[in-house]
Amino acid sequence: MKTRHRYPLLSGATFLVLVAGAALYGCKDFLENAGTPQGTLDQGTLATKAGVEGSLIAAYRMLDCNSTVGAWGCAASNWVWGSVTGDEAYKGSEASDQPPINDIEGYHWATADAEGYLNEKWRTVYEGVVRANATLRLLKQIRDEKPGEISDADAARIRGEALFLRAHYHFEAWRMWGNVPYYTEDDTDFKKTNVGVDAAASILTDLNEAITLLPTSQNDPGRATRWAAKAYKGRVQVYSGDYAGALTTLREVRTSGPYALETSFERVWTGFQQYSNGPETILAFQASVNDGEASGWNSNWGERLNFPHSGSYFGCCGFHQPSQNLVNFYAVDAVTGLPLALTNPNWNANNATFVGGAATPVDPRLDWTVGRDDVPYKDYGLHAAGWIRSSTYGGPYSPKKNIHEKASGAESSVGWVPTQTNSVNIHIFRYADMLLLLAEAEVEAGSLENARTIVNEIRTRAGVRAQGCGSSDAATVAKYPQCAGDTRMAVPINDPSITWAVYRIGLYATPFASQAAARTAVQYERKAELAMEGQRFFDLRRWGTAEAVLNAYLTIEKSRRGYLVGAEAFASRHRWYPLPAIQIELSKVGTELRLQQNSGW
Amino acid sequence: MENMMQGKHSLRKRPLHFFSEVGMSLVLTLALCGTAVGQQIPVSGTVTSVEGQRLQGVGVRVPGTEMRTVTGADGRYSLTAPANAVLTFTMVGYRAVSVTIAGRSSIDVLMQPAIAFLEEVVVTGYTEQRRGDITGAIASVNLESVNKQTTSSVIKGLDGRVAGITVETSGSPGSRNTIRVRGVSSFQNNDPLYIIDGTPIQDSYLNFLNPNDIASVQVLKDASASSIYGSRASNGVIIIETTRRGRAAGPARATLQVRTGVATPVRGYDAFLMLDALDYFEILKRSYENAGLAVPTNIYGNVANPTVPAYVWPNNGVTPTTTVDESTYSFPDNLIMRGSPGTNWWDAVFGPAFVGDYNLSVAGGQEGAAYSASFNYFNQEGTAAYNRFQRGSVRLNTQFVRGKLTVGENLALSREQSYGGIDDGNIGEDNVIGKNILMQPVVPVYDVGSNFASGKAVTLGNQTNPLKYAWGRKDDKSNNDRILGNVFASFDATQGLSLRTRFGFNLGQGSFAGYSPISPENSEPTTIDAINENFNRFTDWTWSNTLNYTRAFARHNLAILLGQEANQNTNRFISGGMSNLLNNALSSRYLQDALGDASTKTVNSTGGKAALLSFFGKADYNFANRYFLSFTLRRDGSSRLGPANRWGTFPAVGVGWRVSQEPFMAGSQTFSNLMLRFGWGITGNQAIPSGRIVSQFGGDRGDTYYDVGGTNTTVVQGFRQTSLGNPDLKWEEARSVNVGLDLEFLDGRATLTADAYQRHTNNLLFDPPTPATAGVAAPPIVNIGKMRNRGIDFSIGYGGSSWNVSLNGSHYRNKIVQIAGDTSDFFYGPQSTRYGNQVINKVGYPIGAFYGYIADGFFADAADVAGHATQDGAAPGRIKFRDVDGDGQVTLADRTVVGSPHPDFTAGLDLGLRQGNWDLSATLFGTFGNEIFDTQKEYYVFRNFSTNVRQDLLTDSWCQTGDAGCVTPADPNAKYPRLDQNDIFSHAISSFYLEDGSYVRLRNVQIGFNVPASWIQWLPAARIYLQAENLFTLTGYPGLDPALSVSSQFGPAGDIRDQYRGVDRGNYPSSKTISVGITTSF
Repeated sequence: MKTRHRYPLLSGATFLVLVAGAALYGCKDFLENAGTPQGTLDQGTLATKAGVEGSLIAAYRMLDCNSTVGAWGCAASNWVWGSVTGDEAYKGSEASDQPPINDIEGYHWATADAEGYLNEKWRTVYEGVVRANATLRLLKQIRDEKPGEISDADAARIRGEALFLRAHYHFEAWRMWGNVPYYTEDDTDFKKTNVGVDAAASILTDLNEAITLLPTSQNDPGRATRWAAKAYKGRVQVYSGDYAGALTTLREVRTSGPYALETSFERVWTGFQQYSNGPETILAFQASVNDGEASGWNSNWGERLNFPHSGSYFGCCGFHQPSQNLVNFYAVDAVTGLPLALTNPNWNANNATFVGGAATPVDPRLDWTVGRDDVPYKDYGLHAAGWIRSSTYGGPYSPKKNIHEKASGAESSVGWVPTQTNSVNIHIFRYADMLLLLAEAEVEAGSLENARTIVNEIRTRAGVRAQGCGSSDAATVAKYPQCAGDTRMAVPINDPSITWAVYRIGLYATPFASQAAARTAVQYERKAELAMEGQRFFDLRRWGTAEAVLNAYLTIEKSRRGYLVGAEAFASRHRWYPLPAIQIELSKVGTELRLQQNSGW
Repeated sequence: MENMMQGKHSLRKRPLHFFSEVGMSLVLTLALCGTAVGQQIPVSGTVTSVEGQRLQGVGVRVPGTEMRTVTGADGRYSLTAPANAVLTFTMVGYRAVSVTIAGRSSIDVLMQPAIAFLEEVVVTGYTEQRRGDITGAIASVNLESVNKQTTSSVIKGLDGRVAGITVETSGSPGSRNTIRVRGVSSFQNNDPLYIIDGTPIQDSYLNFLNPNDIASVQVLKDASASSIYGSRASNGVIIIETTRRGRAAGPARATLQVRTGVATPVRGYDAFLMLDALDYFEILKRSYENAGLAVPTNIYGNVANPTVPAYVWPNNGVTPTTTVDESTYSFPDNLIMRGSPGTNWWDAVFGPAFVGDYNLSVAGGQEGAAYSASFNYFNQEGTAAYNRFQRGSVRLNTQFVRGKLTVGENLALSREQSYGGIDDGNIGEDNVIGKNILMQPVVPVYDVGSNFASGKAVTLGNQTNPLKYAWGRKDDKSNNDRILGNVFASFDATQGLSLRTRFGFNLGQGSFAGYSPISPENSEPTTIDAINENFNRFTDWTWSNTLNYTRAFARHNLAILLGQEANQNTNRFISGGMSNLLNNALSSRYLQDALGDASTKTVNSTGGKAALLSFFGKADYNFANRYFLSFTLRRDGSSRLGPANRWGTFPAVGVGWRVSQEPFMAGSQTFSNLMLRFGWGITGNQAIPSGRIVSQFGGDRGDTYYDVGGTNTTVVQGFRQTSLGNPDLKWEEARSVNVGLDLEFLDGRATLTADAYQRHTNNLLFDPPTPATAGVAAPPIVNIGKMRNRGIDFSIGYGGSSWNVSLNGSHYRNKIVQIAGDTSDFFYGPQSTRYGNQVINKVGYPIGAFYGYIADGFFADAADVAGHATQDGAAPGRIKFRDVDGDGQVTLADRTVVGSPHPDFTAGLDLGLRQGNWDLSATLFGTFGNEIFDTQKEYYVFRNFSTNVRQDLLTDSWCQTGDAGCVTPADPNAKYPRLDQNDIFSHAISSFYLEDGSYVRLRNVQIGFNVPASWIQWLPAARIYLQAENLFTLTGYPGLDPALSVSSQFGPAGDIRDQYRGVDRGNYPSSKTISVGITTSF
């Protein structure tokens, strides 16, 4: 092809030679060379220690949404599946934004809208499983092919972490759908059935092996340790009703493990680097910002809609608004400082917006969990009506736990609405959660005093510090002159600067009157402590109280949030979420559907 | 001479173009009967071509007599003839003209070149063939008609002008064209193959090619014609030849063509969306009140007495703002926006747009050398603000002959620039069209500081000012540079044997630089700005070597072709971005650490490589121009396919029988030509990304990287499998059968060409989804299915002496016959709405069928609700969905195929009228029976995101007694469901979104006048014209414009836009363009 005819003298014979040359032109190589994919890695390149470590990192990455699976049904916190479907939060925003969550909130789980979200969650957890299994396979391959490449200790650690993650992702699936297939690194058929699968048993098997393999501590706070695996095992035991097993497991973690409660409540969810991954973290999605990723995908992506809207510093998007029920629940008895709900059947009577300045005594966790008007919002000044996207729709309150402190520097400088993109780690399992699971086990074992000790430990910590002025901006000082020059975000709960609320929190001073009373106290504590953290719906279902609690909630809440009039009653079929119809279809082998839909759907 | 022409004439097969026959017939008629008698007078005049060239050597005569002369170098003639005689003017390459003298002494004549109307010899592959010898389904394009369309690309004009071709495109200048030949044969990558001067390329735009340079366009529609291009011919082949080298001998001749015009959108949203703020409030009010909810008061205040607020921002979310100290305004921190009594957002963004097309070409030659050169500048503004396309191109074609050797080249250089980045425009919320619906009328275009305003306050939705969006991107320039051409040499050995080698190259590079401004005025504000830019470069070369042998002995004619070809293409793409510019001036928009936040700087590059190797042969034989037989065989090897299945074989057979040459037809007065054709053949498709025969691994910072160290700012690298390979990938094959008929009758004035075809595609390449339990890695591409297309296309023409008409029509039916594998018999289309999928590919239905519930009107009352199957959210006035499976519940299983975007019939009608120096032409296009899925109803009916709505929602929504403004309670004929803020159910994807997409449009009407050279001595003759495009449209489509483009959709296996046709997601409307032009030669 480099030669061409230049002179008339060039003969036809020469031409024919050329043609022949072209025909021979590397027939095979010509096509083969062009068939190599460009700009990708092959399996051989990854068959190294760095390759298997990277594969493990990718398995961790599925703890939250990412650029492959999208948003928001994949959120690490499960706010859609655990909070909005519980009694603590509304979808928020406005009616027509993210309409699938309207259906999910109204228990219309079989609509096409809801299915899209369910499918996203399904894809996320099983991609996590796939990545964990890919790590295990790669590890085995390298150990077989290159015995010296990875030390025994590293191999054990890597296998332990991958098994832990595989257990976690399957747990997420199991807790959503109940009947789910379980995949290991040896599986090659990806259409396994979900019928007759004991997922919990497999999860525990994986965790038990992980416990034997994992080190007791790791340099990287994001990695699973032996203690994390043990704590997680206790969690799974509680979820599967094995309180006795959980008691043994979790008592050991409590007495011998490295975990402790944070010194004060506002340090649990924080953008401050020095407080994140504190002693309370068992498993958290490690969010990061300004890390070279141009859209902010590694941030708190799954939570990023859950910020106050246009009138606020954040600008967007007003989702995941706390319910009136939740706000009312934080009212405490003026004398005992215990939840009003324990003693007053009318605790949930208040329909009006609960704004700052009221004399009603409240649990200080209210103002670390809920943004409400005329109360400082961390260090951003006073929460105001104009921060709410549509109060007639989603009510007057904003979420707060996932918000980074302005002073923390945890904000992104890239991507769409960077003010709502931060590096606040998303807790998946924290020590207070574990303690309360242990308390449940203690209650069921009849050791009520142990449960009381735990609940009081949690309440003591909650009483350490409350929301302070946070900001000396004009609006704050105009409303609360004492805030001039006082920008302390967290102050003792009886600090004189606090005039927007009366904070009280009391301990259970006397032994619980009965096992039932103890159970109630523990359950109330979970609601107050873990509110807005995606746990509530799963807790109610676990306790068997979902139908009663949620239908009572809907009855009252329909008068507060008009759109809930369209909600379906919570019924027995809501025990499990329906499997995504498309995944059932894709499990077809011949005419047989390997995945079976949950009953009632 | 006449006899000779008559002989040729009878051999021709011309499906569309009959002008010449008409002219010839006329000459013949006159020759027979036009004997002149009467008074003899002197007649003189000038003969010029329509390009204005004075024609030398034109034969001028009075038929049936010996009165004749020829024109001189100045084109002048003079002779003496009877005063009532007819003069005929004839010249090779021009259509004959006859004029009645009618006593005049001066008669100027204008001659039309014949070349544009019929190619006696057409390029059909690696060879040229006589028109009449062709047995395949090949359509020649009437370029004169095509060139009346104001467009950057010749392929845009093919719609309705060639039977069997559809073209879908948007009104944005320079936008992509979805051109399909006889329907759709594959799940992906259905673009036809273009052969430009012998060089194969694949492209959906073809903007780099100046339409004025094109000499001929042939469309190879069936496999017997196209399988010579086997490997890439499944979707048809379009052969484009650019201006042939200048005349072998003659002085340089220049042609100047200029056209300028003004375009406006055919229709705007202001024709049917709310324009008045208080009317809009009425919708809001009824929606809330009907739902039993409190009506928001923060904008309009008192619900009983609403007013346009003095200010929409600032706003406390509760009450309207009446006073603001405007002097406190500061951008971006303290914005102030006044309330608008009614902003016409369409008008704010769309308006008249200028278009100009300037061409100069020069051609000439001498013994042994010929050349042509052309220069073009084309500038077309979009009707949307800041949207523009421009192209400059230069072409040089030369050829040198020395003895038996011919060498030459065709070379075109072009640069395209487009601004505004709207392209195919069918991208929902993310462009100025979609954003137009998103804005409420109470929001002003500008704030008090003359910065852009938007719906920042609560209840005003979630949107970006569409004019701001366009403005922010006004400097986003996309550049495409192209060098396309080939060098060739051929050697005429002896006795019909010739050898040819051709090295074709298609070299391109493109760049884009984009900017995203901050948008503090938005409800969802962006507080940082960002730039992104990219650069790509590709090289695509094809080297082909062919040997031709032709032999005629006795009445046997034989032509043999043997050839070999190699093709390789490589591309590389690099892109980068950065945020937080310190200075957003154009001169500061570069990727440099100093200019923005260096930590946000990113860069990525990707590339691809693929090759094809081919061997082919063809034999054409005919006996006495009566029986025709042709065999083709091609073997292609593709780098994209599995090593074991890399090579494909593509045979074809064509048979023709010219019945009119049979002795029993001799002397038939009815038919001057009657030819029957049959073709069968196999073509291939391997248009998938390279490298999919092996599994691929990778990692992306936003996908696999993770901050395992808990640093909050540093991520550790991670890897995952990104795609699953399939080493068994093989060719997708289409087997097609074509039966055709060519007819000429009424003395050749009327022509008919009709073809019926069937095409079966086997081993369809596609990547059906894998279960999520296999992970999110791109599923393997597999050969999974079968598809069938059946159809007919035809063209009928008739030409009178001063008028002509031609009609072409086509019909096809596409059906997915099989989706193999063990998963399912369907998969969804690529792009879902916010409410789920609306497109499905399912066995038994055409590709890209519409899918959803069947909407059965509205629930009339509580009894109707109770009597219907259980349905989520059922209530009076909401849409009732059919319980298709009859299980008493409306569930996802009740979704079904509800419509199809494929037309039943498309047709084009060309009309021409010529009277003296005047000519008039018109082109109509119609499509019938196709449906449109109007996704925009999400917004303008269901008010998703508090958007603007249709005006008739006020009057035509279902209502019940007691609802405000209710005129006809429980009206079953209401157009829309009840206004109900709590109705989150009616918007489910259903047949409610479907509309009939049929329309008839006057594509073009043109009136021209030939200014004779004699009028102004110092000016060359010229043709001037006035034309109007898209002057009217007859349609029942209630949306913006039924002429939809097909939006860009890409899957891991390639271009899948055919799974997403007929979806209106904010389509840039066509333009009504009025223009004037002049064509002259000197």
